[in-house]
Amino acid sequence: MRDAYDVVIIGSGHNGLTLGAYLARSGLDVAVLERRHEEGGGLCTEELTLPGFLHNVHANYHTFVDLAPPQHDLALVDHGLEYIRPDVQMASIFDDGTALTVHTDLDKTCESIARFSDRDAETFRRLYTEAHGYVNLLLGTLMYQPPMSMKELTRALSVFGVEDRSEFLSVKLRRETIDVFLDQHFTHPKVKAHLAFHGAVCGYANDVPGLAMSFPLLVGKIDNWNLCVGGSHRLAHVLWRDLAQHGGVLLSDAEVTSIAVDDGRAVGVVLADGTELTARRAVVSTVDVEQTFRHLLPSEAVPGELAASVEHDLLHQPWSLFSVHLAMTEPPHYEAASFDPDVDRAWVVNLGYASTEELDADWRAVRSGALPGMCRPNAAVNTLFDPTDAPEGHYTGLLRQIAPYALTDGGPAAWDEIGHWYGRRCIEAWRRFAPNLGDGAILDWVPYTPADIPRKLRNMVQGDWMMGEVSLANMLDKRPLPELAQYRTPVDALYLAGSTQHPHGFITFAPAYNALQVIADDLGIEAWWRDV
Amino acid sequence: MPDIYTTEWYDSVRDAINAGVSRLRSVPEGRFVVAVEVVGDGISPYVATDATRRFLMEIDDGTCLWYRELAAHEDERAHHEGRIDYRFRGPATVFDEIAAGLLDPVDVALRGAVTVKGDMRLLLRNAEHVASLLAAYTSAVSTTWPLGRPPYASDASDAPADASSHNATGGAGGDAPADHREATARA
Repeated sequence: MRDAYDVVIIGSGHNGLTLGAYLARSGLDVAVLERRHEEGGGLCTEELTLPGFLHNVHANYHTFVDLAPPQHDLALVDHGLEYIRPDVQMASIFDDGTALTVHTDLDKTCESIARFSDRDAETFRRLYTEAHGYVNLLLGTLMYQPPMSMKELTRALSVFGVEDRSEFLSVKLRRETIDVFLDQHFTHPKVKAHLAFHGAVCGYANDVPGLAMSFPLLVGKIDNWNLCVGGSHRLAHVLWRDLAQHGGVLLSDAEVTSIAVDDGRAVGVVLADGTELTARRAVVSTVDVEQTFRHLLPSEAVPGELAASVEHDLLHQPWSLFSVHLAMTEPPHYEAASFDPDVDRAWVVNLGYASTEELDADWRAVRSGALPGMCRPNAAVNTLFDPTDAPEGHYTGLLRQIAPYALTDGGPAAWDEIGHWYGRRCIEAWRRFAPNLGDGAILDWVPYTPADIPRKLRNMVQGDWMMGEVSLANMLDKRPLPELAQYRTPVDALYLAGSTQHPHGFITFAPAYNALQVIADDLGIEAWWRDV
Repeated sequence: MPDIYTTEWYDSVRDAINAGVSRLRSVPEGRFVVAVEVVGDGISPYVATDATRRFLMEIDDGTCLWYRELAAHEDERAHHEGRIDYRFRGPATVFDEIAAGLLDPVDVALRGAVTVKGDMRLLLRNAEHVASLLAAYTSAVSTTWPLGRPPYASDASDAPADASSHNATGGAGGDAPADHREATARA
């Protein structure tokens, strides 16, 4: 191990690896440091149940494939990255045996919606078509650029008269919930429930004011849910490969215990084993803001006002995810297949939410520390599309249920008591819709609770898998705090590039890509990736 | 009244841009090079099918210094240290209809008919300036259309190849039926 690099990056999640790969390709000497023994952060695929069953412990759905610049800039396909985009992307299955399916074929999606409401099908077609037109423009504007303020965006939308030119983009959306948007444009409760469910799986709660602004963008890529062949960790591996091929190094089992600061400038890091690594040009943290400013930096390096903001003002998602990972001998056969056979071929399946009111009630319960009133997890069987993730003739299953991190009765530790019980409830909820999933169909299963999330990935504070609340108050140039939103910090040569930053978590690559623009400007790196 | 896609027309567009910019309270500082790629779509008579006509525009402190077409084999990056700050690319018919004031350029961008690359923050932060540029392009130049003025018939063979016409570009809408304009934009 060398003791000096141009840039030292703390954390090897997809943002840390992406940034490292870009900088290495730019000719810098880069080290990416990982506390765990394996790179990837949320891109972890493990045999949680039985040998040969590969479970995506965190990130399962990759919705920015072909939209995120790094996928092309870093030639990830050439490194062996492969995605499958299931024909039947999503389904909602309802208690009355009906079902709604979303396909990569817009006509089929509209046919499915039309079984509930012709008018909603027409509206969805218009919304999708409109949103699909500007999805790349908006992604380039809103996600793959350092953030602007809401005021600037609103003003520009007004000057360009976007509201007059778009049926679905309105400056008023910045104050409204997804529920309101759905009520304004759709009629059937189940159609609205499915669209709200889609937003929820993306981390956008349908009852949070302001998130309606993002809803057209969500719909624009509603059919871009992709499965990483071989498990999500494969993406981490190809990012590492690109980093390594361009001279960068990944150091695993390298826990950073402090960031060295000299005369107000970040100059290196100290590892848990006492190793000191010099950073000649920059230190980049991709871990949570709390770790960076409360534990890694010397307190005297953090301005008092910022220290107070980190202590009091950070916003975390007030909800988390409870997961069940299953090893199975057969896939689910839904009773609703008699209504719509495509549900058996759907990837992400909403098990039972039939109205936005049901979702809203669960959001309220979860935010107050209670379990949802009724278990309505979503289910995915990746093996239906990628048979390499399970032994031949077998299947991996994933159930996810919105849940509180800290339970009212017992806090996060209570999950250790109730995890298996709640896992059984989730499986029973699945069986209600797919009775073939009896005990004989399930070889093994493990719960993965909200409390387990930060135990495994320390930066997902309070089980916050988005690494910061998705809300108007924590969006754009306010995320994670106004003084940290542009990827720079008050400590010279220290940058932030993790999912704490704009836009948010999920496999977007955007925090790294945006931080790269800032770092390149500051370090005078030629931006070879700016494809204009 | 200059013919579309001639030096006289580019200069008229430049002058119209600068006349509009002179009325703005603020303009972006610095120099920007804008590339425009107009792709032949088999409908517009002004760009051969599958060919691309390329244009460059240089803007300095908000003022358009020049706007011109690149020669067939001219390297667009041979100028200004290879700098291109923005690139607009789309079908010829769409660009023709924008120039004729029949299509709204913002609408076209929102529909993805013309792609935009570059620092979108700067475009948004200088929205008035951008809007002024677009207005100059769409409605401030009286253009002559020697090969026929859009909207064109959907079948290229129907295009009035010898029907020279001009428009005083009275803004979006023109005199074309709305459904035809939309169909052409989608094409």
